[in-house]
Amino acid sequence: MAGMVAILYACGDSANNNNAGTINARASLPDSLKFTALGYKVVTLSINKKLGTMSTLYGNKQALDNAIAGADDVKAGEAFALITWKQQDDDRWFGAKIPGNLQSVEMIKTAADASGKVAIAYTHLEGKNLSPIADTLHNAERIKYIFDQKPSVMP
Amino acid sequence: MSTKNKRPLKTKLLFIVALLGVCFILIQFARPQIDSPPVKADFEAPAEVKNIITRACYDCHSNQTNLRWYDKVQPIYWQVAEHVKDGRKGLNFSNWKNMAPADQKAKLWEAVNQIAEGAMPIKSYTMVHTEAKVPASDLAILKAYLAVMVHSKPADTSKTNALDKQYQKWQKAKTAHTKLPVEPNGIAYIPDYKNWQVISTTERFDNGTMRVIFGNDIAIKAVKEHHINPWPNGTIFAKVAWDQLQDTAGNVKTGAFKQVEYMIKDDHKYASTKGWGFARFKTPKMVPYAAGNALFANECVNCHRPMSNNDFVFTMPVKH
Ligand code: HEC
Ligand code: HEC
Repeated sequence: MAGMVAILYACGDSANNNNAGTINARASLPDSLKFTALGYKVVTLSINKKLGTMSTLYGNKQALDNAIAGADDVKAGEAFALITWKQQDDDRWFGAKIPGNLQSVEMIKTAADASGKVAIAYTHLEGKNLSPIADTLHNAERIKYIFDQKPSVMP
Repeated sequence: MSTKNKRPLKTKLLFIVALLGVCFILIQFARPQIDSPPVKADFEAPAEVKNIITRACYDCHSNQTNLRWYDKVQPIYWQVAEHVKDGRKGLNFSNWKNMAPADQKAKLWEAVNQIAEGAMPIKSYTMVHTEAKVPASDLAILKAYLAVMVHSKPADTSKTNALDKQYQKWQKAKTAHTKLPVEPNGIAYIPDYKNWQVISTTERFDNGTMRVIFGNDIAIKAVKEHHINPWPNGTIFAKVAWDQLQDTAGNVKTGAFKQVEYMIKDDHKYASTKGWGFARFKTPKMVPYAAGNALFANECVNCHRPMSNNDFVFTMPVKH
């Protein structure tokens, strides 16, 4: 008996299978977007509890600097990307939610025209394949929303 | 075959068996002490919750260790004593109420997660003490108990004020550190984390925070090439946590900055902590979490242990 118990006790301890080594494929951006190469930095993140979505706002250096400075006017050369995911429960931690299906990517770029006036270009891609959305109805509202975001404190 | 050779062999065997027997008897007297200090601040919860925890965890995580006769036979007893010693060190339900309420809450989420991931109770123990297993129905009871503790409500002014104060300082001074704060294990705060790429983000509804997990170039390359179990030496993660600031419509933004935590992969240098160097710096002042406690990383390792088959990493990377 004691011998049996000893053998049982000597057995290794292992955790459950938790999809070790996997990438979060459904949340991943398609390679074609070449997002990492843009070198954008995190500006802030947000959650919509009603819709069950989470978003990360990225910006290039100029966009982030202007946002931190709290500049009121839009300057040329700013670029933002707002990425939104449907949330999913984190299988590895009861108490957390993580990005699930990729929902949308919204991009803003500002540039000065010949007369020096700053123009804002907005693109909206949706779904896993990031299909362009042609409807421009909400563009102004979305542009304002993105410019209104306050950067997260990152000392 | 001649019988001449057999007899010495048999004698030898007998001698060895006898020797083992003597050893077995002798080691019964080498007994580390498992004491039972008085229980002064015992864990309190509704009976159905308390019963599960008592049955499954109290042998190793309370002063009320209840050993069966077969636990007391050496060499098993050594391992039992070791488990009780280490178990009580990290979590002792008999001292529960001595913890601050926030710490009690965090420990309880940690405990239930250890069960959910199959890391606790220790499997070799439940193979012998089958009554200590936590079936799915019991796990559901524990999860439901935690779920009612979650408060999802709009932020009060104190949270908004805390952010405003931080923000103004950060915006002006950009909080430059002339001398980088250092954890007792020699790991210094790395200010460059905010220029790194993102591995993933999380909402933690267990403690009302939200997080970004950044990765340095080596980490990002490992994700691109899908070499993440184990992660290559040189990988660094930086996890940043903020308070959640929720408005009445359920929109949540980041509130005050709480802390930044690092994990640095070096399987030689940090062999004693599963190949990772751990560090945590709190508030924008970047106060080292573990001042004076060189063993603090055990706490990090113990909670990350359910991920032992995933190089002790929780985050499932999102390719960007
Ligand atoms: C056979 C002894 C044993 C039993 C039973 C047991 N544990 Fe443990 N536990 C340990 C040991 C030993 C450790 C220290 C880490 C290690 O060696 O795995 C530990 C660590 C932990 C930790 C991490 C503590 C820290 O340092 O932060 C938690 C949480 C935990 N156990 C929860 C539980 C819960 C919940 C149960 C009951 C469902 C349970 N354990 C049952 C032995 C046990
Ligand atoms: C109570 C459990 C717990 C403890 C204790 C803990 N962690 Fe974690 N850690 C987590 C969870 C859960 C995650 C997954 C991300 C998230 O949801 O916050 C994580 C993620 C991380 C990450 C990102 C990489 C990964 O594994 O996903 C770092 C870096 C990290 N922790 C550092 C630390 C350090 C440093 C300590 C000790 C000072 C520590 N942790 C202690 C639970 C814990």
